[in-house]
Amino acid sequence: MPFDTSLLSIEMLTAALGLAVLILGIISPASAKKGLGWITVIGLLGVSGAAIGFWGTQGSVYSGMYLVDNYATFWKLTFLVAAVLVVLGSMRYVDNLGGQTEYYSTLIFATLGMMVMASAGDFITLFMGLELMTISFIILVCFRKNESKSVEAGIKYILLASMSSAVLLYGLSLIYGLTGSINIYEVGRIVAMNPVSPALILGVVMLLAGFGFKISAVPFHMWSPDVYEGAPTPVTAFLAVGSKAASLAILLRVFVAALPGIWEHWAMVVAILAGVTIIVGNLVAIPQDNIKRLLAYSSIAQAGYILVGLVTATEAGIKGVMFYAFLYVFATLGAFTVATYFYNITGSDKIKDYAGLSQRSPLMAVVMLVAMLSMAGIPPLAGFVGKFYLFTTIVDNYLWLAFIGLIMSMVSVYYYLRVALVMYRDEPADSTPIKVSSPVAITLVVTMLVTLIIGVYPGPLSEVVNAAAHSFFLQ
Amino acid sequence: MLTISLTHYVVLSAILFSIGLFGVLSKKNAISVLICIELMLNAVNINLIAFSKYITPNEFIGQIFAIFVITVAAAEVGVGLAIIIAIYRNKLSVNLDEFDWLKW
Amino acid sequence: MSFPVLPVILLAPLAAALVLVFVPKDEHKLIKSVAAIGTFVSMALSFYVYFGYDQTLGGLQYVIRHDWIQDLGVTFFLAVDGISLPMLLLTNLIGFSAIFASWNIGTRPREFFILLLVLITGVMGTFIAHDLFIFLLFYEVVVIPIYIMVVIWGSSKRVTKEYAAMKLTIYLLIGSGFLLVGVIALFTKSISILGAPDMSFSALAIAGSQLSAFDQKWLFALLLFGFGSLISMWPFHSWSPDGYAGAPTAVSMIHAGVLKKIGGYGLIKVAVVTLPVGAHFWAPWMAVLGIAGVAYAAFGALAQKDLKYVVGYSSVSHMGYVMIAVACLDVIGLNGAVANMFAHGVMAALFFSMIGFIYEKTHTRWIPDMGGLAHQTPKLAVGFMMAAMASLGLPGLISFMPEFTIFVSAFDNYGGLAVIGIAGIIITALYVLRAGANTLFGPPRTEYDHLEDIKGVELVPLVVLGTVLVVGGLLPSLLFDMINSGVVPLHAEISNVLQLGGNL
Repeated sequence: MPFDTSLLSIEMLTAALGLAVLILGIISPASAKKGLGWITVIGLLGVSGAAIGFWGTQGSVYSGMYLVDNYATFWKLTFLVAAVLVVLGSMRYVDNLGGQTEYYSTLIFATLGMMVMASAGDFITLFMGLELMTISFIILVCFRKNESKSVEAGIKYILLASMSSAVLLYGLSLIYGLTGSINIYEVGRIVAMNPVSPALILGVVMLLAGFGFKISAVPFHMWSPDVYEGAPTPVTAFLAVGSKAASLAILLRVFVAALPGIWEHWAMVVAILAGVTIIVGNLVAIPQDNIKRLLAYSSIAQAGYILVGLVTATEAGIKGVMFYAFLYVFATLGAFTVATYFYNITGSDKIKDYAGLSQRSPLMAVVMLVAMLSMAGIPPLAGFVGKFYLFTTIVDNYLWLAFIGLIMSMVSVYYYLRVALVMYRDEPADSTPIKVSSPVAITLVVTMLVTLIIGVYPGPLSEVVNAAAHSFFLQ
Repeated sequence: MLTISLTHYVVLSAILFSIGLFGVLSKKNAISVLICIELMLNAVNINLIAFSKYITPNEFIGQIFAIFVITVAAAEVGVGLAIIIAIYRNKLSVNLDEFDWLKW
Repeated sequence: MSFPVLPVILLAPLAAALVLVFVPKDEHKLIKSVAAIGTFVSMALSFYVYFGYDQTLGGLQYVIRHDWIQDLGVTFFLAVDGISLPMLLLTNLIGFSAIFASWNIGTRPREFFILLLVLITGVMGTFIAHDLFIFLLFYEVVVIPIYIMVVIWGSSKRVTKEYAAMKLTIYLLIGSGFLLVGVIALFTKSISILGAPDMSFSALAIAGSQLSAFDQKWLFALLLFGFGSLISMWPFHSWSPDGYAGAPTAVSMIHAGVLKKIGGYGLIKVAVVTLPVGAHFWAPWMAVLGIAGVAYAAFGALAQKDLKYVVGYSSVSHMGYVMIAVACLDVIGLNGAVANMFAHGVMAALFFSMIGFIYEKTHTRWIPDMGGLAHQTPKLAVGFMMAAMASLGLPGLISFMPEFTIFVSAFDNYGGLAVIGIAGIIITALYVLRAGANTLFGPPRTEYDHLEDIKGVELVPLVVLGTVLVVGGLLPSLLFDMINSGVVPLHAEISNVLQLGGNL
C-alpha cells in the first residue's frame, strides 16, 4: 500500500533538528555552545512555519496509524510555540548550568514525542509518542544531576510515570482484546456496535487512570508538586505545559474517537474527576509558600478545568479544551519564566522573596500578575473566555460542575492575590533593579500580549480552533 | 484433558499485573520497584500476545505491539538505573523512604 | 460614518494610562495633568452625548456595533439609552473629581493614576456595553485594580487594609461567580430559543422572556445574588463599610459613587428585563431585603464613630432604597431607582472626597477627636454639609426627588413595608446631622488652628459635584426626563411579558 511520507515531514524535520543540535554540540568548542539555544529557537520556528503550511491538510499514513488533520496540526503548533518560549526563557539558566547540547536536544525530542502523540491514530503510535516524551522528560527533570533535589524528583517521576504507563498499557491491551483492533477510529466503530462488557469498563478506567496521571488530575496528582518543585524550573514549565497539553490531545482522541459508544458510562466519572481536581488543586494551593509548588497546584486545578470540556465529548467540548489549553500554555509559561529568571538572580523560590518585585522589575511583576489572573479567569484576560467556552458546554446537564468551577476559580483569586500582594505592596529587602535579559524579555512580553489579546479579542483564535475541532470528526 | 484457553492467559496476566502493582506500591527499594514495573509491563505483553493469537490470528498486531513495549521498557529501565546510580552517589542509598528532600 | 464618540469616551482614560506608563515616575505634576486631561476629555464628551441624546426618539443611540466572537454571537456593541446615559455621566463626573481628590497622593503616584484610569475605563465600559459578554469583560476588570490600590494606598483602622481589600475582592468575585453561572446558563438556553447565539441585551431579552417560569426563577436568583452583592444588598453588604474605610479616597469615591451602581444597573438592564417572570416572583423578597438593608444599615451608621464607616453604612442604606424601587417593577419605581443611584453617586463621592481631605489634614477620621472644623476650614465644611443635606434628602438638592419618587411607588406596591423604609429617613437625618455637627461645629479646637482650607485644584471635586448636586435638585427634569425616556419602553416590555404569562 503506497503512502505519502510527505505527511510526516514536520516530524522528520524535528527529529533532524534534534540530531543536528546533538551533533553540533559534540563537535563545537565549549565557548560556542551558547549559540545552540538560538539554533534550537530558529530551527523550531522553521518547523512551526512548516507546520502552518500543513494547516488544512487532511490525511493519514500507514492505514490510519498516523493521522494528519487540523486537530493534530493545531496541537503541534501549540507544542512548538511552547518549546520556543521555553528555550528562550531558559537560555541563561542553561548557560549557567552547562550541558547545553543534551538539554536542547532532549527538549526537541520531547517536543517530537508530543507531536507524535497529537497525530497518533493507533495505540502503538500513541504509546511510542508518549514514551518518547516521558523518557525525555525524565532526563530533563534530573538534569541538575549533582543536586539531590533534582535527582530525587527524577526518580519519583520515572517510577510513577512508568507505573502509570503500565496501567495505561494494560487498559489498551484489554480494549485491543475486546475489539480486535488498535486503530482508534476503528475501535470506535466496533465499540459503538457491540454491547458493553465489564472488561471494557475496566479498560476505560485504566485508561483514565493512566492519562489522569499524565495530566495530573486528582487523585493521580501526587507526583506533580514534588516533581515540579525538584525539577529545573524551565523543565517544570515545559512539563506543566507540554506534557499536559500532549496528554490532553491524546486523551481527547482516545475518549472522543474510540469510546463515544459508551459515553454514558464514563461521562459522569470524568465530570466528578474534573470537579474533584478543581476543588483539591485550588484548595491545596492556598497554604503553599513556594512559588513552584503554588504553580504546580494551580496547574492541577487548570487540568480540572480542561477536563470539563471532555465531559460532553462533543465538538464544542473539544473546541473548549483546545482553546483553553492554548491560552493555558501562555499563562503558565509566563509565570514559570518569571520564576526561572527570578531564581537565576536570587536563587530563591520562596514567595516571600518576591517582595517588592514590582519595583525591582515592573515587567516581571506584571507578567506574573497577568498570568495568574488569566488562570483565575478574570476578564479581560484569556482565561475568562476559555472558561466561558468550557462551561457553556456543560451548564445544561452538569450545573453543579459549573458552580464548582466558577466559584472555585474565584477562590483561586485568593492565593494568586497573595502573590500579587507580596510583589506590589511589600518593600523589597534588596532593592537593586533586576535587569531582564532580552530572550527572557521576549518570552515575557509575548506571553503577556497573547494572554491580553486573546482575552480582549478572541474571535480569530476561536475560528482556528473551530476548524481544528471540526477536522477531528472527519477521519 | 486440560486445554489452555484465552482465559488462562488473561488470568495469568491479571495476576502478574496485580503482583507488580502491589510491589510498586509496597517495596522500599528503588530497584525492586523498577522490577515490579517490569512485571506489570510483562503482564501487558502476555495479554497482547494472547489476544493476538486468539482474537486476531491472521494479523500480527499484538506481537508488534509487544515488541514495541519490550523495546521501550528497556529504554525506560536504562534511564531508571542511571538515575538510581546518580542518587546512590548523592545519598549512598537506594531506599525510597530516605528520599525525603521533597514531600513524597 | 459619524464620529465614534462612545469609543473615544471609553478609551480616553485608557490612552492617558498608556501615556503614563512612559512618563518618568518622578514627574508628579505631569502625571496628574495627563490623568486629569484623560478624564476631562471623557467628561466633556459625555456631557455632549447627554445633551445631544434625542429623548423624543428614545432607544439606543450613538450605536457602534462590530462582530467580535462569531461563534458566541458576541458583538462589540456600544450604545447609550436613557438609563445608561446618567450612569455614564455620573462615572465621568466622579472620575474627573477623583483625580483631583487624590491630588496630594505622595507615594508612587504614577502607578496610582494608571490604576485609577483603568478603573474608570472599566466602570464606563459596563454602562455603555449592550452586549452581555462585553459587559462582563468590563464588570470584573475593576476588581483587581481596586485590590491593589487598597493594599498599597489604603489605610488600616478598625480592620487592616489587607483584610478590607481581600474581603471586598472575594465578596465581589464570589458574587460574580454565581452571576457567571447564571449568565452561561441563560446563554445556552437562549441559543435553543433563538436558533443562533446572540449575546446582545435585546436578543437575550427576547429569549429570556420565553423561558419557563421555573427557569426564569432560578436564573433570576443567581443574577440577583451576583448583582445584589455588588450593590451591597443586605445581608451581602458587609464588605462595603470595611472596604470603603480601608480604601484610599479616590477608590471610595468611585466604588461608592459608581461601581456599586453597576449592581443596580445590571439588575434593571439585564436581570429584570431578561427574566420578567423571575423578577416578578422575587420582587417581594427584594423589597424585604431592601428594607432590611435600609433599617439595618441606618442603625449601623448610628453606632459608628469613624466618618468613613458612617458614610459606608449610609451608602448601604441608600442602596436599600434602590432595591425597594426596583422591586416595585413599575415606571415610577424604576425611574426612582435610576435617579437615586445617580443622586447617591454624586453625594457619596462628594462625601468621601471631603472626608478624604479632612483625613489628609487632621490625620484622623474619628468623630470624637474632631470638632469646630468649620472655623478653620469653611469651604471644606460647606462641601461636607452639602453632601450631608443631600444624604438626608433635603428638598432643593438632588436626592429629594428620587427618594420622593421611590416612596410614592413603594407605598403603592408594598404599603406597610414602605413605612419602615420611610422611617429610615429619620434615622439618616439623625446620624448625618450628628456626624456633621460633631465634626464641623462647636467651639474651635486649638490643635486644628494650623489647618489650611482646601484651595486651588482641591476645590475641583467640591465645585463639580456640588454644582451637580444643586442643579439636579433645582431642575430635576434634566435628570428625570432622560431616565423616563429609557424606563418607559423597558417597562412596556416587562409588563407585556407579564400579561402574556397571565397570573404568574
